[in-house]
Amino acid sequence: MKTSLKYTAAFLALAAALAPIYWLVTISLKREIDQFASPPLWFSFTPTLRHYSAIFSHDAFGRYFLNSVIVSTCSTLIALALGLPAAYGLVRFPWPHDWARGIGFWILSNRMLPPIVTIIPLFLMLRELRLLNSLSGLVLVDVALNLPFVVWMMRGFIEDLPKEIEEAALLDGESRIGVLLRIVLPLVRPGLAATAVFCLIVAWNEFLFALILSQTESAMTVPVGIASHVTQYEIQWGAMSAAGVVAMLPVLIFAAAAQRYFVRGLSLGALKG
Amino acid sequence: MTRRIPPGLIWVAPALSVLAALSIYPLLYLMKVSLTDAHGFTIAHYARLFQDRLFSVAAGQTLLYAAVALTLEFFLGLTLALLVDSLARGRALIRVGLLAPMLLPPVVAAVIWRLIYNPEFGVLNGMLRQLGVNTTSLTWTSGRTSAMLSVILVDVWQWTPFMFLLLTAGLQAIPAEPLEAARVDGAGYWQTLRDVILPLLKPVILLALLLRSMDLLRIFDQIFLLTQGGPGSATETVSLYIYRTAFRFSNFGYAAAMSFVGLLITMLAARGLLRLTVAVPAEPPCVSMRTDVIKLS
Repeated sequence: MKTSLKYTAAFLALAAALAPIYWLVTISLKREIDQFASPPLWFSFTPTLRHYSAIFSHDAFGRYFLNSVIVSTCSTLIALALGLPAAYGLVRFPWPHDWARGIGFWILSNRMLPPIVTIIPLFLMLRELRLLNSLSGLVLVDVALNLPFVVWMMRGFIEDLPKEIEEAALLDGESRIGVLLRIVLPLVRPGLAATAVFCLIVAWNEFLFALILSQTESAMTVPVGIASHVTQYEIQWGAMSAAGVVAMLPVLIFAAAAQRYFVRGLSLGALKG
Repeated sequence: MTRRIPPGLIWVAPALSVLAALSIYPLLYLMKVSLTDAHGFTIAHYARLFQDRLFSVAAGQTLLYAAVALTLEFFLGLTLALLVDSLARGRALIRVGLLAPMLLPPVVAAVIWRLIYNPEFGVLNGMLRQLGVNTTSLTWTSGRTSAMLSVILVDVWQWTPFMFLLLTAGLQAIPAEPLEAARVDGAGYWQTLRDVILPLLKPVILLALLLRSMDLLRIFDQIFLLTQGGPGSATETVSLYIYRTAFRFSNFGYAAAMSFVGLLITMLAARGLLRLTVAVPAEPPCVSMRTDVIKLS
């Protein structure tokens, strides 16, 4: 194929991928009169930040944002705290037969359960525990969502480490926990950071669980908050798109930080609920 | 085999118990819910499944949605991966740009496409009008026949990047020697693609198809946010129908029965696809794709 033709095709694909995102950003920066202009205004309009100040001052958006930050941070930290020792235990201890593989697969199979299937019993259970409309209930299900992923990612990273340093430390009288904290942890830090970023993105984007478990304004996360406004005020395009931009910014920033690990992370379904 | 408790168990136990509490127990609970009603044990919920026309409509539409989206995403993703891989310059930048849609929260993707699809003020009809097209009948997500097409298009937009990402990684992992050999033998581009590249890419292709179809069969977010399954039941899927049954009509028993059947179908589909992978490696291939972490920068 001719080189110029190839580049034309590649740029068309790029435009198809990015133009919708660009359009969202422009709508969030346009005055109403420009939003509904016909023909559509792609470049020449008077930008305004009014929609951004509106969502943060009038609506409960600040609350949603805070909730999202709390839920994604807590669920990520708990998943890491549970998953890292589990990964270490699976890799570095002698297991009879192929227990380690069996356990690993069982853990991963949890990731394959469709969320709509698990959410019904979880909803009923959390209702009995009076944990509906509370952030802790949501943290709990997001931990379940991310934990298998943490174990599998960290398993790979720990396997990559040379065993010898750890064995030397054990001979010197270091405890297993000491080895994990003082030797393994510093060495896997880049991998741990990447895993944390993926967990944060998953919890941040998560919609179905949050939709069902948090229905009061005070417990809503950003996606659910936006969704409730999408259906309520169809015509408030400015606020809706400003909220959308604010919701996507952290994800794009996080993703840029973890781009080296895209394949390993995403092929495990990192971004899906 | 020793009868001692494996020493690693204590390290794994916390994670295992949390997962058990949040998956095994809920599944057993779900089974119980699906087999009881106000009067005790019953199989009525399962019996109802076979007479429920809406369930079969939803199941059919889920399969249609998954099949069409999977096909489009695969061929587009493969074409793009091959295309970008063959470019001399600017690959890294183009790849980053092409991946962006996949990262967005589904709710943001839905907001974007509402802005685009709106029949009156949306940019899509706006541009078509600019080209002189009469757009009065183009209602996209609110049209009975166009709704399904519109939600599939959103899926293709957001998730073709995922296919592109995996296939790009697969392409980068292909060693240079067989390509070189094909070139020396005088093989043309299409012949090399058919006889060398695609066979070597097969494990990655199957993995990508497997992961994507699992996600497509459980599709919820975009459709819920764009059409709520409507108009009528034109875009109703199994996940949406289960959601409505449980959380709108509080019929948890029936929703649980549907969940179990849905779970069974998903698992069978996954099994079938896994079988296709000749000699499935000991680990899922995604985890052993250690060396081919995509080079974006």
